[in-house]
Amino acid sequence: MRRGLMAWDPAEVPASALADRRARLRAELAREGVDVFVAYTNIARGGAVWWLTGFTPYWNEGLLYAPADGEMIFATALSKRVAEWIISVMPAGEVTTTPRPAALIGERIAVDGAKRIGILELDDFPAGHAQAILQAAPGVELVDVTQAFARARNACDAVEHLLLTKADALAQAACAAVDVAQIEARAFIAPAESVARLGGAEECFTLVACDLGASRAFVRTESMGALGQTYAARVSLAYKGAWTRHVRSFAKAAPVQDQFNQAHAALMAFAPQPGEALGAAVARAFGPFGTVVNWGAEQPRGSYPLAPVANLAGSAQGFTASAPFVLDVEMEIGGRRWIGARIIGL
Amino acid sequence: MSKDALAARRRALKDAMMREEVEILVLFGNNWHADHLRYATDFGIQEGQGVALVREDGSITLILDDPAECERARAYSTCETIFAPALVAEAKKQLARAGNHNIAAAPYHLLPYGLLHGDKDLRVSDGAKIVERLLMNKMEVEIDAVRKAAALADEGYAIFRNAARPGRKDYELVAEMESFFRAKGVPENFMIVGVGGQEVRGMAPPGGKILKAGDMVTTELTPCYDGYYAQICRTLIVGEPSEAQHQAFAVYLEAMEAGIASVKAGVTAAHVAKAENDVFRKYGLGDYVTSEYTRVRGHGMGLFPDQKPAILEDVQITLEAGMTLIVHPNTYHPAVGYLVLGDSLVVRDGGHELLCGTPRELFSVPLQ
Repeated sequence: MRRGLMAWDPAEVPASALADRRARLRAELAREGVDVFVAYTNIARGGAVWWLTGFTPYWNEGLLYAPADGEMIFATALSKRVAEWIISVMPAGEVTTTPRPAALIGERIAVDGAKRIGILELDDFPAGHAQAILQAAPGVELVDVTQAFARARNACDAVEHLLLTKADALAQAACAAVDVAQIEARAFIAPAESVARLGGAEECFTLVACDLGASRAFVRTESMGALGQTYAARVSLAYKGAWTRHVRSFAKAAPVQDQFNQAHAALMAFAPQPGEALGAAVARAFGPFGTVVNWGAEQPRGSYPLAPVANLAGSAQGFTASAPFVLDVEMEIGGRRWIGARIIGL
Repeated sequence: MSKDALAARRRALKDAMMREEVEILVLFGNNWHADHLRYATDFGIQEGQGVALVREDGSITLILDDPAECERARAYSTCETIFAPALVAEAKKQLARAGNHNIAAAPYHLLPYGLLHGDKDLRVSDGAKIVERLLMNKMEVEIDAVRKAAALADEGYAIFRNAARPGRKDYELVAEMESFFRAKGVPENFMIVGVGGQEVRGMAPPGGKILKAGDMVTTELTPCYDGYYAQICRTLIVGEPSEAQHQAFAVYLEAMEAGIASVKAGVTAAHVAKAENDVFRKYGLGDYVTSEYTRVRGHGMGLFPDQKPAILEDVQITLEAGMTLIVHPNTYHPAVGYLVLGDSLVVRDGGHELLCGTPRELFSVPLQ
């Protein structure tokens, strides 16, 4: 659940910026001939509703209804008292609490007379909610508008840029705060969590690849053991809803740590040249330090705060070169595995 | 969790599937509702979404749409694990490969729309009957995990008390808690807070409030062990409590103890809620046990921190031995604001086993 700082600062997220985003979405939906828009949100899939309202539910779930005109409605099964809190931290939209949010939105759709209902990620939309909408608004057509949303979301505006910059600074500070003197991975990573949340992170996931010589899998504290000769910290965090990741590798042997530091410096300086393909840029930047084994890029996609959009295998599912992205690089350096990740393009 | 414990859980699931004549059980999960997925796979999903296909022969396929989560699952899960960015398409492919079987799914209302609809609609029934009882009624090995989580909640509250002092921001208290829990191996913690006085009507994530003299600081801490959650609710005062705060707390203490004393196998959730609420009514505070001021008077806990049964006067679910609950008469008090107090316990034949050990006090922290 979200349990870090959740607050709305109008200087960081002006309501006008959210109005601009909604206008962009409205234009894209009009091109699709869709009357209204509905998006689902919960703590794992809060990206789209956050982009439109500045809010992610800390728990439970919700539905955002954007009519053709007028105020958006955020419907949730959270209590009326929680709704009072949501209003204080959500810059855009009205809040309605009801045990059956989808039925309420269906009733509103029926009142508005909408016929073509644009649903973000229709395939992944909870079936129970879809059924409730169809029951409350018989005869409507549910239309997948994931691509229209992606076109509207394509650019990173100044507000998101600012939040990501703060998130990146927190993630870097968290990764720098790990305690390399520790033997156990839990004790190694715990200070990172503290630094991230003291800095105002809304959410923070701290994972460790405990022994890079054995596995590159990053695990949670429940399954962490002792640190190996080489290991890595992975911090994924949200600042006011904007997500980033930072990964840093460590070695117990000083000469290996020096090599790792050089690779990390390359990551921190990474910047594709104009027109340069991402894979070529990775090879150019990291080639001098070892062999690139794998790389991947993540960006916000639909309701997902971060999702894979490009990788070494050539897959590119909606990668936007002009927007910031999290680059994850895995290398062999002197026969040892090194992993690094950070946000690029800020 | 141990191989034996997971095997016991899977046997229970298989038996329940057999009783309902279900050949494939589809379990869906995400970081909010991770419980169904975890019961079968022991994987605590953190990012993205997942689907587990549990077959009648006991084999399980876990499908995840996040590559790092997939690597994490493969690192220790005994299930076949598949990375599929198109989760629904992959799940449908797997189900189609299995043929025309009796399929059930849970939690049914959260199941992806595309899994049920498409070129060829799948006939899938609601699997709640199979899973819900298993999630509520715990085996001793599961209760032991809840017991360990409750001990962590006690330890955590001691950290929280030490962290609370004038001038600190509410989210700084959370930071200390989370760092402590990570060091203890706790990956998840449900936690909300309230800071202030009469104007505070509930708890929420921290918003940057600065603790000051006279504030009531409320919290629910809910760490997990092996995926099983236990909760503790306590209130502290920054400085010495006022007479009004003492008097209010006495009502909540009496209500909680009345509720806990009423817990035993065979009574309903409504019975426990009534025992708590009668105390409020006795003191003329009956208005404050309604949904206007409080959500529930306690709830079940397990692989989900807020599972059935809800402790409410209109919930007729019968408590059974092995259920794990928190009894918390948390609500708004007109004189002092929102106040919380709650302990976790196990329902036993003829009574209960208390899991929390933190004193039932209105704590105070020094101003200096």
